[in-house]
Amino acid sequence: MNLQQAGQSKSSNGYGRRKSEREGATKSENKILSGKLNANRLANAVVTGAVTGSKGGSYESPSHDRLVYVTTCLIGHQVEVQVKNGSIYSGIFHATNTDKDFGIILKMACLTKDGSLRGQKSGTEFVSKPLSKILIIPAKDLVQVTAQDVAITRDGLANEYHHDMHQEIMVDSLISQSRHVDLGRELKPWVPDEDDPQCPELENIFDGHWNRGWDQFETNEALFGVKSTFNEDLYTTKLEKGPQTRELERQALRIAREIEGEETQDLHLAEERGLHLHEDFDIDEETRFSSVYRGKRVDDSGFDEGVLFDSHNSETFGGETFGGVFGSVVKRPGEISGGKGNDGAQTLANSSSVDHTLSSQSNTGVDLSRSGSSDHAKQLASELPAKSYSTSDGESRIQENSNSNQHGDNGITKEENLIQAEDVQLSKSEDSQGPLYMNKDGSDKGVLSPNASSYAPSSHTSSKTHEKMGSHGDLVDGSASGKANGETKSVNSRGTQSGSDLVGSIPASSALGLSPSSSVGSLSSEKSTLNPNAKEFKLNPNAKSFIPSPARPPTPVSDGSFYFPTNVTTVPSMPGMPMGIGIGPTFASPQPVIYNPQVAQMPSQGYFHPNAPQYGQLLGHPRQALYMPSYMPEMQYKGRDY
Amino acid sequence: MEGGNNSSSNNNPEELAVGCLLSIRTTLGDEFEGQVVTFDRPSNILVLQEPSKPSPRRNLRLLKANYIKDFTFLGHAQDPLDPNTCFLDLTALQQREDVAVRQAEADAERIGVGVTSEAQSIFDALSKTLPVRWDKTVIVVMNEVRVSSPYHSESVVGGTPAANDRVKKVLDFERKRLQLRSSGGQ
Repeated sequence: MNLQQAGQSKSSNGYGRRKSEREGATKSENKILSGKLNANRLANAVVTGAVTGSKGGSYESPSHDRLVYVTTCLIGHQVEVQVKNGSIYSGIFHATNTDKDFGIILKMACLTKDGSLRGQKSGTEFVSKPLSKILIIPAKDLVQVTAQDVAITRDGLANEYHHDMHQEIMVDSLISQSRHVDLGRELKPWVPDEDDPQCPELENIFDGHWNRGWDQFETNEALFGVKSTFNEDLYTTKLEKGPQTRELERQALRIAREIEGEETQDLHLAEERGLHLHEDFDIDEETRFSSVYRGKRVDDSGFDEGVLFDSHNSETFGGETFGGVFGSVVKRPGEISGGKGNDGAQTLANSSSVDHTLSSQSNTGVDLSRSGSSDHAKQLASELPAKSYSTSDGESRIQENSNSNQHGDNGITKEENLIQAEDVQLSKSEDSQGPLYMNKDGSDKGVLSPNASSYAPSSHTSSKTHEKMGSHGDLVDGSASGKANGETKSVNSRGTQSGSDLVGSIPASSALGLSPSSSVGSLSSEKSTLNPNAKEFKLNPNAKSFIPSPARPPTPVSDGSFYFPTNVTTVPSMPGMPMGIGIGPTFASPQPVIYNPQVAQMPSQGYFHPNAPQYGQLLGHPRQALYMPSYMPEMQYKGRDY
Repeated sequence: MEGGNNSSSNNNPEELAVGCLLSIRTTLGDEFEGQVVTFDRPSNILVLQEPSKPSPRRNLRLLKANYIKDFTFLGHAQDPLDPNTCFLDLTALQQREDVAVRQAEADAERIGVGVTSEAQSIFDALSKTLPVRWDKTVIVVMNEVRVSSPYHSESVVGGTPAANDRVKKVLDFERKRLQLRSSGGQ
């Protein structure tokens, strides 16, 4: 391809004048050709109609349609136009005049080569001219138009759309253009802080050897009792030693040397292989080390880097990986990349790198010499079996890799141990909380149970009090009925019955003996309730009088005599109460009691009713006078009985 | 084969038919090979498509037949323009032109007017790492340091001492690169 390269031209005052004259002519021609521009637009419309299938004008021929179509596709493209005097203009294709002649209109055009100054060879004095907004090149001066990478068919347009979309993304080439990136913030130099004596170990943290030979498996086993189940064979291909190991290793080293010894035109590959290209000083650090070379056309640095060698991006990307892989091999002469390939954890990454290497090698072969591609393919074919086998050095390397894997696994195991420890702690806390909760419940129960007990005793006390009161009544009833029965029995025995009746009376007396003890308890409680009252002294004699009763069962006669005074005592209390209440009929009742035992029982029931109000009155302390009469009758009766 | 040109001219009509491969030399000394896309007799324009690796994009060349010094017929191939895939989107074309014009205007601001290519190279080198702009024929760096013609270290003025020193260093480095390039390459 004999492309017109942009070269330096020369300038002179004479040419400057001619330039200005031409510019004037251009302006005048622009005015003249305004109508033709409209005609050109109409021509475009006609082309659209023609291409879509309906050919409009009969005067147009297919070849002319094709010409108009092609020129329409050039609109918006950067083109170079060569004019009659040999000058070359570069600009954006805007429109054409296709009426009779073929004139071209460019936008933002600039003169890239001045043919009129071919004779003079001093290129350092060329002064660039300003761009022309609109440049019209008449047909008489037009020689040829060249355009690169023009999309004519539909698929080309589709790719163009994709390209346009892609351009909206901020790629490195756009970011590296400083005019597109504004300074976001003011940069300040970093000043290191003073050495902090509190952490002296941080001074040379990487100089220590405390972590050499660290084995996390042993640590985990000692701390948590976790036994490692790490198996190297699960992560990597098992190495098989054999007589072919040395042969394969030697073959792999030979292939590596051949690859590294290849001539390369890629800057990055050359740098990694230690090759020194010519004119290193001409290439800046960015181009040499970091930037991705995209070819002369796409170069955005703004100046011509003709010294750079031509290479493809795929080679560059693959070459970097390629160099990285074999660079490591160079650093470790005793080891081969085949060993690397056998490492399970790194196999995937290395496989991808190998793929890149293969692709880069293929590209290199195709780029350097197509005739040599078969040789490269053979090398690749021979290289693959080598990588699939193992060597002693590879084994040792794999062991090292296994160690590193073990470290990684130790980390994972440690995390698992931490998780398990957390689980144990959680379970422990749950267990402890459970008992605590239970304890709390127990304590609550305990707290409640004391409360319950504190309440229960009170309820028991009240129930006991109630029971005592009830039992008192019952006992009184029992004693009264017993006494009545005793009287009846004694009368019968005295009158008609024999000794067998006496035997029956003995159990009755024993039963009566038990009831007095319970009655004594109730009386004591009553006394305790009535501590400040004088009635305590009055009731004490009753208690003493009741105690001897169990001592006198063998003498029924004396018991009968004892019972009589008790009944008499009860009878006088009845008249006392009526006085307070003001009931006269009660006086008449004692007399029938003496004469009729059945009638006597009914008055005893009435006697209970007065007892209750009697206690109420006693509690009130207003009836002390009533007690005196009740006491005196008891005294009198006791004296008479004795 | 679509209809060829029936007009009789100095050129052989059959050899300018669509699809022919030609090796052409122009009166201005250019030599190239290409495949005929079309030949328009009224305007005497020959449209050629240069051979390249398979790609939807092509390198086109429109050449006026008057300036063909001589050509050689290399062979005959298929029609490079398939009518079924011919498609024109005028809106897209207009947008593409507008975008290109805007880009060209932005780039024009970076091109010095009335300066040598050496000065332009220095401007480009400084613009890689520093914000620069043209003030007629003077390069202004960070709106502080001014580098005037003939763009030597002695012509750097203004700015803080650190900025001034940095601009001088970059300038010296760039001049060394230019010297090496001119002496070694060109």
